[in-house]
Amino acid sequence: MKNLPAIAALVFSVALLAALSVFLSLAVSGIQRSGECLHLTQARWQEVETPGFSAPPASLDSRSLPQTWHAAALPLSLHPSAKALATPAAVITWVRLDVDGAQSVAESRVLYGARLKTDGPIAIYINGKLMYRAQQRGQQWNSLFTPLWVSLEPGINDAPVREILIRLERTPSYAVAVSSLWLGPADALRGRYQIRRWLQQGLPGMLNAAFLAVGIFGLFVWLRRRHDPGYLLFFNLSAIAFAAHLHYYVDLPIAHDWFGWVVLNSFCWLLTTVHFFLRLLHGRPLRWLGRGMIAASLLIGVASLPLPWALPNTAPLLAMFYAVELLMAMVVGIVGGICTWRSSQEGRLMVVGLAICVLLGISDWAMHNNVASPEGWFLGAYTNGVTFIFFGLLMYRRYVNAIEEVEQVNASLAERLRLREAELEQSHQRLREIEQRQLLSDERQRLMQDMHDGLGSTLISAIRSVEQGRMRDTEVSQLLKDCMDDLKLAIDSMEPVEADLLLLLATLRFRLEPRMESANVALIWDVKELPALDWLDPSSALNILRIVQESVANILRHTRATAIRVATAVDGTGVQVVIDDNGQGFDVAATLWRGGGRGLQNQQRRAQAIDGRVAWVSGETGTRFTLWLPLQRGDLVST
Amino acid sequence: MESPAAGQTAPLIHVAIVEDDLGFRRALTEAIEGAQDIRLAGIAGTRAEGLKLLQGAPTDVLLVDLGLPDGSGIDVIKAAVQQWTSCSVMVATNFGDETHVIRSIEAGASGYLLKDSSPAKIVDEIRNLASGGSPISPIIARQVLARFRQIGVGGASPPIAPDETPQLLSAREKEVLELITKGFTANEIARLMSLSPFTVRSFVRRIYSKLNVTSKAEAIYEARNQGILDG
Repeated sequence: MKNLPAIAALVFSVALLAALSVFLSLAVSGIQRSGECLHLTQARWQEVETPGFSAPPASLDSRSLPQTWHAAALPLSLHPSAKALATPAAVITWVRLDVDGAQSVAESRVLYGARLKTDGPIAIYINGKLMYRAQQRGQQWNSLFTPLWVSLEPGINDAPVREILIRLERTPSYAVAVSSLWLGPADALRGRYQIRRWLQQGLPGMLNAAFLAVGIFGLFVWLRRRHDPGYLLFFNLSAIAFAAHLHYYVDLPIAHDWFGWVVLNSFCWLLTTVHFFLRLLHGRPLRWLGRGMIAASLLIGVASLPLPWALPNTAPLLAMFYAVELLMAMVVGIVGGICTWRSSQEGRLMVVGLAICVLLGISDWAMHNNVASPEGWFLGAYTNGVTFIFFGLLMYRRYVNAIEEVEQVNASLAERLRLREAELEQSHQRLREIEQRQLLSDERQRLMQDMHDGLGSTLISAIRSVEQGRMRDTEVSQLLKDCMDDLKLAIDSMEPVEADLLLLLATLRFRLEPRMESANVALIWDVKELPALDWLDPSSALNILRIVQESVANILRHTRATAIRVATAVDGTGVQVVIDDNGQGFDVAATLWRGGGRGLQNQQRRAQAIDGRVAWVSGETGTRFTLWLPLQRGDLVST
Repeated sequence: MESPAAGQTAPLIHVAIVEDDLGFRRALTEAIEGAQDIRLAGIAGTRAEGLKLLQGAPTDVLLVDLGLPDGSGIDVIKAAVQQWTSCSVMVATNFGDETHVIRSIEAGASGYLLKDSSPAKIVDEIRNLASGGSPISPIIARQVLARFRQIGVGGASPPIAPDETPQLLSAREKEVLELITKGFTANEIARLMSLSPFTVRSFVRRIYSKLNVTSKAEAIYEARNQGILDG
């Protein structure tokens, strides 16, 4: 049910269009009433040669014409006779329709026909009176596509129509044609008229405009994507097609020769453009065909130039030009089809479109040359529609493909990103594991070293002493207690002290307190807040603990002091831990020199390992031990 | 529990122990026998025996070892807090390291005893605990501070029943803890803050019980988050 709104929108849009078409078909429903009308399908005709075009008289009695009528059925196509070509400047074709049926004159009547085809002026007489004139300056460009519509208003022509006389002037070489006619109420015939007019002029005009609009869109696409000439060719195509189809609805006298030249030649240009377009799709150069197309276009262009010295702009010549153009279209279509059929689906589409256009063009040619009935349709007007539909299909395919491609690219990008992230995470994990392993290994080594130097060796000497029976129980117990202290400090060094030296000292005090109490030594705890030592890791923490522990142990063991003062201070680039006692002093230099000062040497070594210093100042009244530690360590600053 | 007879100077402290290490049991027994005011009221060697012991009459102090042959002493501590509400639970530990002690305190213990303590120290600690004091080391003080800092930052939001609301440390409690991390003893802190040493020790007991309540609240919050308990 998620796409319910979409379905609703679709149904609404389709319903709207359906309703519109119902309204339109109701509006032209006059077709249903054509039963009330007279369909005139019988006529008589004759041709009169004249020295030139002349104005039709206001009224004319058909009996005044020569009585050489030929009976014929409508629609009527008259081909120029070979003998007529020689002499006259113009010919008048008279077509007479006798109306027998009764007609109501209460409402306005009209005379309707698909078309009257001639290149000279047209005049229509009703009951001998001139009622309608057209093409007074010769043929109009749109006249072949405009149906005949003559209103006979009540009051002006009250009498029923008895005779319709059509006067068609023409040049001797022109093929005249007359469709069948309808006489009846305007409302009954308007539908017929309007449908024919819309299909033959309105719709082609719309298609023409739409195609041009799409072409202009293509132009703007090309302006941003100059490397893609297809869009420029497409604009070119639409512009030429627009020019080539203007004559279906532009109301100009056909005597505008330059316009005719453009119309005629634009088909050549159109075909040349289509050829290059196809070449773009199938990728083969086909130089000879390209050159041939350009040469043919130039040749026809020059031959059809409306200049005094050029060939005369006559109907047979035009028919020949159009025949050549149709031939060119077939060549382009067939060659393009062969080249592109396998390689490009788009090319195939274009060739099919071109083939349809050629067929439509052939129908136009047949209409022009009276091969087809004059009631037929000029289907060439729809080549634009076909082109529009096929290019629309191309664009639709490209558009949909482009969207899908973008989606695929996005999806694959997301996938690649995911993979990359997973990879990164993995390598990060590996790095962390390595780091962890390194850390563990360091820690193990440190503890091993400490156990080896301190706890291990003390235990071994204790075991040996006990085995040799040289030690009393209390001494063994004391030794083991020392070991326990060592162990506790090793464990404390692993607790997180978070760069807090004071916390480390506090821990040491907490551990050593019982020993001092039992030794009856007073401890003066005189510490001050210290800045954080960022380098204080478990390894350096153990070193500091051991240094201070050794110091306190020395005091308890050797000095007979009764009070120990532990103080801290900040000193420039470092901190100090000061331990004072009030016991008997000792000769620092001598003790360090002698082997017996191994404890002091150990303190020195451990201090150096953490970039610190130890110092002793000893006198009669006591000793001051100082441990100096840097606020920052060189190797840490550099990393 | 026996009530002290009128006229006696100090009331008897009854102690029960749950400990499988025979050496420590003997050391403990000897230390207690040396003291006039302490009686050993019961001994258990396993977790199961310890839990059974709790069915009997409550003692004043219960000493529990964490590593029992049939399970963790933590279970015994939790059960004791439930069943012997007036009893002070103490955990026996080799090193007094942060991991063991903090876990025990969160389970409801009020103190800890280092197994290598001297007999004098052992009876001292028992008396101290029975009278409402609790021991603490600098590292554990730092750890407790860190726990409450976490609660202050992230733990204020969980919706918890009023009696289980995590209680924050008072300014004085915090000050005491901070002085401990700097290495000052209870007596020194008492002097620095003009309190009695006993008050300082009872401060620590109060802090421990807050940690216990907090850990319970956190456990309940976690359980609710995981849908074990209904809101």
